[in-house]
Amino acid sequence: MLETRGLCKSFGALEVAREIDFRLERGARHALIGPNGAGKTTFVNLLTGVLLPSRGNVLLEGEDVTTLAQAKRVKRGIARTFQINQLFRGLTVQENLCIAVSERLGVGGAMLRPAGKRADVIDEASRLMEILKLGEDAGRRVVELPYGRQRLVELAIALGLNPRVLLLDEPAAGIPSAESHILLDAIATLPKDIAVLIIEHDMDLVFRFADRITVLVSGAIFAEGTPAEIAANREVRAVYLGSALDA
Amino acid sequence: MIAATQLARRHRFRWWELLPWVAGIAVFFAFPNYLSFATQVLITILFALSLDLVLGYAGIVTLGHAAFFGAGAYTVGMLAMHWGWHEPFSGLLAAALVAAVIGFASGMVLLRTHGLTLLMLTLCTMTLLEQAANMSAAWTGGFDGMPGLSFSKILGLFGFDALYFRSQYLYALATLFLCFVVVRMLVYSSFGQSLTGVRENLLRMHAIGAPVRTRQVLAYTVSAALAGVAGALFTQANGYVNLAVLGLERSAGVMIVLILGGYGRLYGAFVGATAYMVLEHTLAKAYPTAWQLGLGLTLIAVALFARNGVIGIADSLRRRLEGSAR
Repeated sequence: MLETRGLCKSFGALEVAREIDFRLERGARHALIGPNGAGKTTFVNLLTGVLLPSRGNVLLEGEDVTTLAQAKRVKRGIARTFQINQLFRGLTVQENLCIAVSERLGVGGAMLRPAGKRADVIDEASRLMEILKLGEDAGRRVVELPYGRQRLVELAIALGLNPRVLLLDEPAAGIPSAESHILLDAIATLPKDIAVLIIEHDMDLVFRFADRITVLVSGAIFAEGTPAEIAANREVRAVYLGSALDA
Repeated sequence: MIAATQLARRHRFRWWELLPWVAGIAVFFAFPNYLSFATQVLITILFALSLDLVLGYAGIVTLGHAAFFGAGAYTVGMLAMHWGWHEPFSGLLAAALVAAVIGFASGMVLLRTHGLTLLMLTLCTMTLLEQAANMSAAWTGGFDGMPGLSFSKILGLFGFDALYFRSQYLYALATLFLCFVVVRMLVYSSFGQSLTGVRENLLRMHAIGAPVRTRQVLAYTVSAALAGVAGALFTQANGYVNLAVLGLERSAGVMIVLILGGYGRLYGAFVGATAYMVLEHTLAKAYPTAWQLGLGLTLIAVALFARNGVIGIADSLRRRLEGSAR
């Protein structure tokens, strides 16, 4: 569904992505792991169009989208969450979701009809809040919410775009363990045809979630396989997993 | 569910929204000797309202908004002076159109930038227009401007009188009302909601697939048109136009008005313009040589203790009351 071929990105002499050949299949639950500075977020930025590659291609369902603007990739079904929350902090949870849903439904630029009369938008926002158990915070401004709840809003916004490819950059970071099941439940209930790529440092979550794992080291793919294969890979254990798995 | 209901009702008119208009009509009867001053307040409110759309809602910081005010002011002035076009309403429309075209053209270029670069470029645009007006003396009157302009009667009935501002005041009030209805409709629409998204988080707006620059340029253009109408009203009401309409003082002044009243709050322009101009008028009368000191101290106090302006204080109080009621 989403594929990269020989993807490279350099900032001057610094190579942050090197010849990345990657495939995210339809309906995949794929994890991208690697030590800090491995280039995971850069890779997501290349997939979403925030950054343009120095070389190589990004293909969505076989179509080259390498030079397509970020907004247009979103319209084609690529949605993401950010490592650090990127929300409309001064607005309520419901407003955050309504803005995202309005864009998806193509009514974000409508000038004549009040936003409050968009029942389709409001209903969809309510449905998302229900999925992520955000209903009681609907009228609260995002800035007033604990960080963990804000992470759920971040995910709700991405889901509100009705994605075909969902890229989750450390979605569980900052969510208290008592609430992490809400996030996992939400991901588990996603339609099976949505491809999900998750970047995560929590290995428990990665091994519970993923049916395939890619290990990125120094901007290049170091290993790829099923969770069992990655767990058994001695080199991966040496460069990254080591203590986490031994423990 | 409560939040959904609140959102669904947010655009509805509330009783207190009548107050500015009731006050506006009351001023007409209660202060007949101050209608010239009151007309300037109304024009400043409209100008501040136009700035609020870009600064308060879309988060576009500009120091050159007087460019559009001036464009509107000079448009009606030049139409009257050189083409004998004295009809007021069509003059307003022409001014809005000219200012919108300038807003669209400059917005397409300037809004590729942001932060200090944008601030400087807006300032430069205004200065360029000011200098163009200064150098085109044959058309604009240059440094002296265009004094003694005359305009036809409003609806063929009510003439502009330079001594008694009765017609001017009601005309300005009606124009402000119509423009306010447009701005109100915009800010409560999905478009307005997306503008607040642009203000709050540009990165997130890109990430949800919004055509951010198109929205910004559109808001900038509408705002420019409204500022142009304010400028046109200024020329029509006063019967003259000069380079002061394109100056930094006017741009900075309207920004101060909005900060004082509270930006991004629709009624901040009303409160800010009234408070600023009444304060200025009162202080200038009481302390002719040191009135700016009092104004400066007031602004420092607002900047320190009421960062969201006078309307922000009211909002904070309301939130506290709601919080203690829970």
